[in-house]
Amino acid sequence: MGTINTLSTYLEGRVSDLLRLKKEGKKVVGYVPGGFMPEELVWASGAIPVGLNKGGNYEAVLKSTEFLPRFFDTFSRSQIGYWALEDPLYRLPDLVVVPSTDKSIETIASCWELWTETKVFKLGVPHNVESDHAFKYYLEGLHLLKEELEKLTGNSITEAKLRKEIDLSNRMRLLLRKISQMRKSERPPISGKDFIKLNHASFYTDRDFMLKNLESLSKELSEKDGKKGPRIFLIGSSMAEGDYKVYDLLESAGADVVVEDFSEGIRPYWGEIEISDDLILALADYYFKKRTPLPALFRPSTEERSAFLLKLAKDFSVNGIIWYSMLYRESYDIEGVYFGRQAEKKGFPFIKIVTDYNPAENFSLQTRISAFIESITVR
Amino acid sequence: MLVLGIDVGAATAKAAIYGNGKILSTAIIPTGFDIIKTANEVTLLVGKRIGCSIDDIDFSVSTGYGRNIVPFANKTITEITCHAKGVHFLFPEARTIIDIGGQDSKVIRIDKSGNVISFSMNDKCAAGTGRFFEVMARVFDLEISEIGPLAIQSKDPCQISSTCTVFAETEVISLLARGRSREDLLGGIHKAMVLRIISMAKMLGYEKQVVLTGGVAKNVGVKKFIEEEIKMKVMVPEEPQITGALGAALLAEAEFSKQLTSGEK
Repeated sequence: MGTINTLSTYLEGRVSDLLRLKKEGKKVVGYVPGGFMPEELVWASGAIPVGLNKGGNYEAVLKSTEFLPRFFDTFSRSQIGYWALEDPLYRLPDLVVVPSTDKSIETIASCWELWTETKVFKLGVPHNVESDHAFKYYLEGLHLLKEELEKLTGNSITEAKLRKEIDLSNRMRLLLRKISQMRKSERPPISGKDFIKLNHASFYTDRDFMLKNLESLSKELSEKDGKKGPRIFLIGSSMAEGDYKVYDLLESAGADVVVEDFSEGIRPYWGEIEISDDLILALADYYFKKRTPLPALFRPSTEERSAFLLKLAKDFSVNGIIWYSMLYRESYDIEGVYFGRQAEKKGFPFIKIVTDYNPAENFSLQTRISAFIESITVR
Repeated sequence: MLVLGIDVGAATAKAAIYGNGKILSTAIIPTGFDIIKTANEVTLLVGKRIGCSIDDIDFSVSTGYGRNIVPFANKTITEITCHAKGVHFLFPEARTIIDIGGQDSKVIRIDKSGNVISFSMNDKCAAGTGRFFEVMARVFDLEISEIGPLAIQSKDPCQISSTCTVFAETEVISLLARGRSREDLLGGIHKAMVLRIISMAKMLGYEKQVVLTGGVAKNVGVKKFIEEEIKMKVMVPEEPQITGALGAALLAEAEFSKQLTSGEK
């Protein structure tokens, strides 16, 4: 596929580009892509947002034991591991923004604060989405972030700049949504792995380049049919860039992911920001209240979130649901058990699998995934 | 038509030949270091018992931990699916399988046709597998076959709180030093292990008929404590280690028949 190849080639050189831009005076703002950090603000400040979302490498997990106890969320602990391994992307940021969604993600912020010289901005994300108090708290966080970005870059974030960036980000969401929805087809024109890689690329590519490529990809895909096979909904806490084991195992079992939902690693694309007179308020409204339309696993409530996910399962005609958990991300384990039972009640075969990125787990993951696909194939 | 199912597990390799609606031969040998050699040996043995060789086999399915490297298998299928088919053949009323092997344990829910509804597996921790009992038998200087009968003689099983095999071994040694009887200690060890398996079954949901398979199903203590815990009778096949290989043979027959019908063979 032409556009996918173009993007892959571009990504190989993207870190060098970022290094060059930084040398030329551009500021780089790293962030944990859990969907609560409005990158429009960063673009509008003249800095470059870079999603820090790597995972899947056990070496980073092992390295993190120098800083953290062993029993801690695989994805979150990996982040300081990549920094310690001197991954160039993790050495670029002048500022790291961490939306504090739970204790695991909060610890990413603590690690940056304790072990690096990089400045950290913690963006508070309260749990009770429906309360005015919580909304005001998040909104105030965005105002503080705006000030921080203006201080970092020396540029002021004007209404005109922010409006332009919101338009561009809305365009990005619209294109990703359009491409994602093509997977409702019996023969999805794009594989699950390519789709998640597109998402991951969108966290650190040049946005004009990305938009141009998403446009051309969308045209290419509209004329293409993919493979027919068991259709999987992949759900979990984190789908990190580089952690594509489950996608590969599913593909080798003849199945594929046709829809996914993660707290970290996927750009929320189900809605768009409604431009209003107060643009920061509009950002808060979208990112905190309306984004998927429900903000995150599992805000405001597990019941509502489950209903939304089961609707997606139906809309995308999935044959089975895989809950992909990070080892020691306990809150998601708890929700996973509840959601699994709701899914089975609605007739969706369900399995939970857990990873700590250890290559030793490859065979047992293969067995679980193959057995799951075997079981749904005979139904 | 002669079909072969071969289940190369972490501790033992099992094979079954099926034909004319009957199980014609079965064999079990320890899994050696060389999996291909083990697969060849168990196949030779299962064939020898009825005077046939691999050349007489129309179709074979391999399963288990070594399934992908059995050189002569026509197809590989996971042990989850194979156990389900094998148990369904022996116990058509079975709806839940508890399989405790040498290095893993699993709970499988099946429907009335022997298809898998859902499953849960523990293959990351030795506690909850046959390996746990091997370590404990060594502490008491007993054969693995001796510990179950002693465990059921316990009147007051000890509480073993450690959930790790290594720490449980230390805990048992310390309780021995405090003068607790061998029977009560073994009773406690069996209960601790069974509680791990049953919590997995409860999480998944189980219903009768429950069938216990795998090498550990030969342990009468495990069966008794599971029955006490779930308040339900548990069925054990005459040879509980063979269900995976049997299921593989049944799936081999189905696949071969399908290929004959479609003209592929």
